[in-house]
Amino acid sequence: MEIRLGSVLLIAALTSGCSWFHRGAKAQPEIVPEPADADTSIISPQVQRRVVKTPKIKAKNFEVGVNFGALSIQDFGTNPLYGVRLAYHVTEDIFLEADVARSKAGTTSLQDVFPNITVLSESGRRFTYYDLDVGYNVLPGEVFLGRGRAFNTALYAVVGMGAVKFAETDKFALNFGVGTRILLTDWLDMHLDVKDHVFETDITGRTKNVHNIEATLGFAYFF
Amino acid sequence: MRRLLPLLLWVQAMLAIPALVEAKVPRKPVELVVTEPYVEMRAGPGRGYPVTYVVGRGDSVEVLFSRTDWFKVRAPRGPEGWVRRDELAKTQLTDGSPAPIPPYPDFATHTWELGAAYGVYNHQNLVAAYVDYAITDSLDAELTLQQALGTIDNRYLATVGLRHTFIPEWKWLSPTAGLGTGVQYIDKSTPPQPLDKTNQVAYVTLGLRGFITKKFMWRLDWRNYVVFTKENDNKEPEEWKFALAVFF
Repeated sequence: MEIRLGSVLLIAALTSGCSWFHRGAKAQPEIVPEPADADTSIISPQVQRRVVKTPKIKAKNFEVGVNFGALSIQDFGTNPLYGVRLAYHVTEDIFLEADVARSKAGTTSLQDVFPNITVLSESGRRFTYYDLDVGYNVLPGEVFLGRGRAFNTALYAVVGMGAVKFAETDKFALNFGVGTRILLTDWLDMHLDVKDHVFETDITGRTKNVHNIEATLGFAYFF
Repeated sequence: MRRLLPLLLWVQAMLAIPALVEAKVPRKPVELVVTEPYVEMRAGPGRGYPVTYVVGRGDSVEVLFSRTDWFKVRAPRGPEGWVRRDELAKTQLTDGSPAPIPPYPDFATHTWELGAAYGVYNHQNLVAAYVDYAITDSLDAELTLQQALGTIDNRYLATVGLRHTFIPEWKWLSPTAGLGTGVQYIDKSTPPQPLDKTNQVAYVTLGLRGFITKKFMWRLDWRNYVVFTKENDNKEPEEWKFALAVFF
């Protein structure tokens, strides 16, 4: 059974490989030699088929970039944060965004008073999140640098959901925030974002909603 | 056979490279001729940006790229600006054929769908992302990645399935049904640990889908899973989720 399945796979793979190969090769027009005794008074038409190629316009709706900044983890201080962003612009108003970022918690104020207490293990201090967001460009506009330079900008709001892994447990988290985007060139933009990640936790003994606010600077490439 | 497979895949990849390299030839910007009295160029890709330049009938513009419904163009004397999709669609190529501005995808016959969902799985919060490929107008193949976050454990699910849309031409509301299979991984930090962390699952699904605007759509899905465990009983968790998606 496995051999038969294998041979089917092999044949399928080889035939598709051949088709790729065929795609790569330039299709040469076949030249049919004229018969020697052809009547030269009759002009045989040598019409070549015209290849109609509709030109394509490149769309640049995707954005991929990096963010750096600070994350204030509730009860655990403010710490550096770094992450990546992928966005897709659907209309001039709406975009979808996915973010992944990471930070590391510091110590609680309790630990500053009693240094021997351990609240979180070394790996538990890692704060990692991912978000799926929808964004709306609330205030599109322009900013000016001196007399001769203008950059397109947008002040936007985002809201979404995702998961936060902190203290070695994964929690469902909601997030919302505002940001501004400045298009430096057609393919590069700069972001400034402030975002809050809210989730329920009992790390400090009592179950409560914690707010973790981040402020980041990011750069992204449009493609 | 198993050892042969990577080799085959490698050969396939090698064969594909020339075709990809061939496609990488830098493109010349598309040139379009204005046939309406004029075309307005704006300072930015949005309805509120001021008009900075006007190209008259008979002149041509070079189209550099597009972003959402706006096209960045260069006028004959050099200035650049953004032209709205429906205005640019009225122009022509230099050979007189219509401008290559594709229309919006038709919802009933779209091919790809990319979406995110929130839901409840086994009484846990669920975050999901999915991609859907239409084999025919009424039959889709779907790949879903989801994470269910609970107070006791945290589960990852990856599923593939087929879904039938009963009346795809009903734009605003159309029922769907499907089935599929996948894998569930349980990540639990506190004891007792489950007998098996990784289990195969199968599911049946009923749902609704509808069009919102332009490229946006929604889905509401109910799934009933069977988780094949080594315990005496198979688990049968239920799932509800609401998705927003973009279609192409």
